[in-house]
Amino acid sequence: MNLTENPIFLTQKRLTHRAGVLAAILIAALIGLSLLSGLIAYLADPRDFNFQSPQFAGKVFYGWVIGVEILVLVIGGFSKISKVLADDRKAGLWDSNRLTPLKPEAIVAGYWLGSALREVYMGAVLAGIGLVIVILAKLPVTLWLGTQVLVLSTTLFFGLLALLAGMALQRPQSGIVLLLPLFLLQMFSFTFPKFTIINFLLPIFGIVNLFQDPARAANDFNAFRDWSSWPEIFALPVPPILLSLGLQFALGIFLWRAAVRKTANPFQPLLLRWEAMTIFALLVVVQHGLIWGIWRGQFGNPLSVYLQHPDRNEPLLSIVHGGTILAGVLILALASPLPERVRVEALRIGAGNLRLVFSRSAVSLAIALTAVAAAASLPHFIFSFGHSGKAWALAVGNLLAFFLMFSLLLEYCRLRFKRRALGFVALWLFVLCLLPFILAGVFSSEALAKLSFLAPGTVALSGTTSNGLKYLAGWTLIHFCVVVLLLIAWLRQWKLLLATPLPVPPAR
Amino acid sequence: MSSPVLTIEHLRVDFPEVVAVSDLSLTVEAGDVCGLIGPNGAGKTTTMRAVSGLQECTRGSVKIDGHQLAREPEELKRRLGFMPDFCPVYDQLTATEFLDHFARAYDVPDRTKRIEGCLELTWLTEKRDALCEELSRGMKQRLVLAKTLLPDPQVLLLDEPASGLDPLGRIELRKLLLHLRNLGKTVLISSHILTELSGFCNTAAIMERGKLVMSGTIAELGQKMGRRQMSVKWRNAGGHALNILKDAGVKNLEPTAQGATFEFDGNADALDGLLKTLVVEGVRVTEWRGSDDDLEQIFLQSGAKELM
Repeated sequence: MNLTENPIFLTQKRLTHRAGVLAAILIAALIGLSLLSGLIAYLADPRDFNFQSPQFAGKVFYGWVIGVEILVLVIGGFSKISKVLADDRKAGLWDSNRLTPLKPEAIVAGYWLGSALREVYMGAVLAGIGLVIVILAKLPVTLWLGTQVLVLSTTLFFGLLALLAGMALQRPQSGIVLLLPLFLLQMFSFTFPKFTIINFLLPIFGIVNLFQDPARAANDFNAFRDWSSWPEIFALPVPPILLSLGLQFALGIFLWRAAVRKTANPFQPLLLRWEAMTIFALLVVVQHGLIWGIWRGQFGNPLSVYLQHPDRNEPLLSIVHGGTILAGVLILALASPLPERVRVEALRIGAGNLRLVFSRSAVSLAIALTAVAAAASLPHFIFSFGHSGKAWALAVGNLLAFFLMFSLLLEYCRLRFKRRALGFVALWLFVLCLLPFILAGVFSSEALAKLSFLAPGTVALSGTTSNGLKYLAGWTLIHFCVVVLLLIAWLRQWKLLLATPLPVPPAR
Repeated sequence: MSSPVLTIEHLRVDFPEVVAVSDLSLTVEAGDVCGLIGPNGAGKTTTMRAVSGLQECTRGSVKIDGHQLAREPEELKRRLGFMPDFCPVYDQLTATEFLDHFARAYDVPDRTKRIEGCLELTWLTEKRDALCEELSRGMKQRLVLAKTLLPDPQVLLLDEPASGLDPLGRIELRKLLLHLRNLGKTVLISSHILTELSGFCNTAAIMERGKLVMSGTIAELGQKMGRRQMSVKWRNAGGHALNILKDAGVKNLEPTAQGATFEFDGNADALDGLLKTLVVEGVRVTEWRGSDDDLEQIFLQSGAKELM
């Protein structure tokens, strides 16, 4: 359906205009024109400013424009889309629209592209003023084009995330809270700009790369803090803009599919199992590809260019291991079914046995995710498997234990504690993962830190404790024993649930 | 006999901790107005939502005019109009803009004319340019009904249409629903306020705790109950007529100013026989009214409460 005939889009447009857009446009224009006038003042009399050149001044002022654009379009757009959708859902309008013969794709597109039109107008004004700044400062137009494409792509990507937040969350403002961890991670990733996927998912690297002055960067080269050269995927250089666009597009397809599926039937899961695996595979393969160039298959022996900073390369794979755990946990949490849904499904197909539970549970997915992560990290070890293969095996074992522990724990808590499940999961994750680190700090004992479920893989991949691998393997075995105990408790709870008939409604 | 337009077979809906609807089978024939009756929590809204496709069913099937919900949801969307028990409107749109939104969504031909027609049908023509937020609750209900009628659906599902309305709003809605009945629409209407449905429905289905207790035409239901509340008026009889009624074995006989009320256990033929006896015995009967169209009586006698 043409967007101009899409009733959802037209209504959102009508509602946006009725609420008033002029004030918002004027605010954006005021900010943009203030920055433009700053540049004009500098060009008129450069002596009053500290800028080295008109180009440098132009980049500073244009950088501010981009910053405000991101704030308006990405953050403001996300907030608006998720709020509109959540409000419509609460008001029953979402269902009313779903009951019409409109295709789910048309409904999703209408909300996606129509809800945040005020923010789009503000962004367009800022982009226009940005172009004037770029031209006045005699900067290449490709700077403007590249940054605008990245901002637009990120706006669309976050718009899809906002749709899902609006569909899934009770309070729309909690959607924006979900973004905070992403931005926090982003800040940490500045230490290794070219090596962390998050700098490409949020296109910080692509934008900063466009602002870089190649001559200046060559004088002050640091292989780890390099913003000026292209990132490499398995040693193949890739333009950062293309990498960001490619990642956002690929993940965007899955977000789009999830939004359309939820619109067609809100009782469908957010992620199908194959989608969860593909997203995870995409993330870990690209992430390992980005850092593969450091060791080129010989983990423990980095290339000479990275040897200048030996303190930096060693923890990188450990950090990626931690990131893999985080991504896996998020995906397992999203793909893990609500036990009552599985029971209803068991009732529907008339098979109340544990085979159905295994096929729906995130436990089997945990094993698959571990296999994917193991395959993605193996290329770091292919030429040095003899002496570093044990570290890889230990990391894989740690991943498996952690993913199994998490999925069993999550489902056990949902079965046992129902609405309070998340609180209990958080408590147990704290006890099993973080408490050992805290105790290790209090008692100054490294051994206590290794009790953590996070420890074996992280330590093994730090490349410094090859002599302690046996010790770590022992702890991994103990972790597997915890997993077995959890499995027994999990099975018991499932059997109880499947054996209990549903009650009829209480008498009124 | 007309064919069923809406067929629900063995419908079961499970919520995480409760069976909301259990093994419900119901048919509504073309042109019927079926009242779905039951106390709060009986499963009426869940049934309506399941029929409209908004609620996932655990088991069972829903067919409208032969099209199965599970297989042809798009066909069903075109044949079904669902009005929920609240008023989902865009507060910042005018009544006409609101209808235009849905007319486009349903791809209604000759949109402007159809919107005008629906506004007129629901007595909202004067409010066509008013923002939805400015409308009273009753007007919003009528606007949502107008939206439901836009695509001219074969079957209307009206879930507690009078909930939250003031007495005047209820009277207006009742008139409107009678008008819909006269237009020959097939309607499934739910309510727990039985007086709302009396005189409007020709069939009824009684639900209790997720189950269908009984269903049929109002007359059939009255007969199923066995005992009917009757009212008779006469001109000249007095004690003689009361004696005839006593001899016929009626229950709870209560004399009134010009007649009596009583409960009768027999079937329709026996009731006809009693009337004949009165007339043969010289009683000048001026009114003979059965309460078999009184849904309240049927519901109270249905035993639904005893299931609790």
